[in-house]
Amino acid sequence: MKSNRKEQEQPKLDMTPMIDVVFELMIFFVVTLKQDDIFSRLNANRPAPNSKPSDSAPSDQIKIDIGPGGFILNGRGMSKRDLRANLKSLSATSRNATVLISCTMDSPHMFLIEALDMCHEYRMENLSIFSM
Amino acid sequence: MATKTHENPELDMTPMIDVVFELIIFFVVTLKMATDKDESVRLEDGKHGIILTPEELPPSHITIDIAKNGRISMANVTMHGPEITQKIRQRVGKWGTDFPVLIRADWRCKHAAVAEVMNACTAGGVWKISFVAVQERKSGQKKTD
Repeated sequence: MKSNRKEQEQPKLDMTPMIDVVFELMIFFVVTLKQDDIFSRLNANRPAPNSKPSDSAPSDQIKIDIGPGGFILNGRGMSKRDLRANLKSLSATSRNATVLISCTMDSPHMFLIEALDMCHEYRMENLSIFSM
Repeated sequence: MATKTHENPELDMTPMIDVVFELIIFFVVTLKMATDKDESVRLEDGKHGIILTPEELPPSHITIDIAKNGRISMANVTMHGPEITQKIRQRVGKWGTDFPVLIRADWRCKHAAVAEVMNACTAGGVWKISFVAVQERKSGQKKTD
């Protein structure tokens, strides 16, 4: 009887440590696989606090006004899609143009980022942000 | 009967070691998550900006957070314009004006708060400003979470 039990114990594998290790690995991979967002930076210039964009706009200046309602490009109000299309055609003719972005104090920050992103998309890197 | 008294005082250490490892992993993970930024800030998409890799930023860089309600903070400490100007001046004295200034502003915040931060930067002598946006959302976190 005693020898019989010993024979039975030998082939029986204890699964507990293996399950422990598997759980440990699972937790480790779940934790490490959590990916972070990829961030980007949108560079711009900020002129002196009290300076205003000059009214006598030279031909290579693009003026984008941002209000609580949306975008105004060179005096014409437009949607995000229209602004993108206009900036695309403007960038084709004047790549080194200075883009003056003026935001009103109550405009959401979202619009400014959208405008900056569009300017970066069309490789316009000479950007100045004014606040009104 | 004799075997039972022998086994009783012998402590099996395996589950204890398992639990200890589990605790170590837990603390390593949670400590990494305790960051020095305002976690409530939700950023707008900016797919065409320059990719921002935190490892490549020089130690001189400065990050300013602006929450949805306009709260301005640095390393989770609420700040106002003059304090930011002071911080910028300290850095200008140490590294010159050519260090990255990053503004992490919530997409819903008003421009007034952003203007306050930018004016504080120019008052400190820094004109070049970068805004942080999301290039690609990988963590599954939505803009409005």
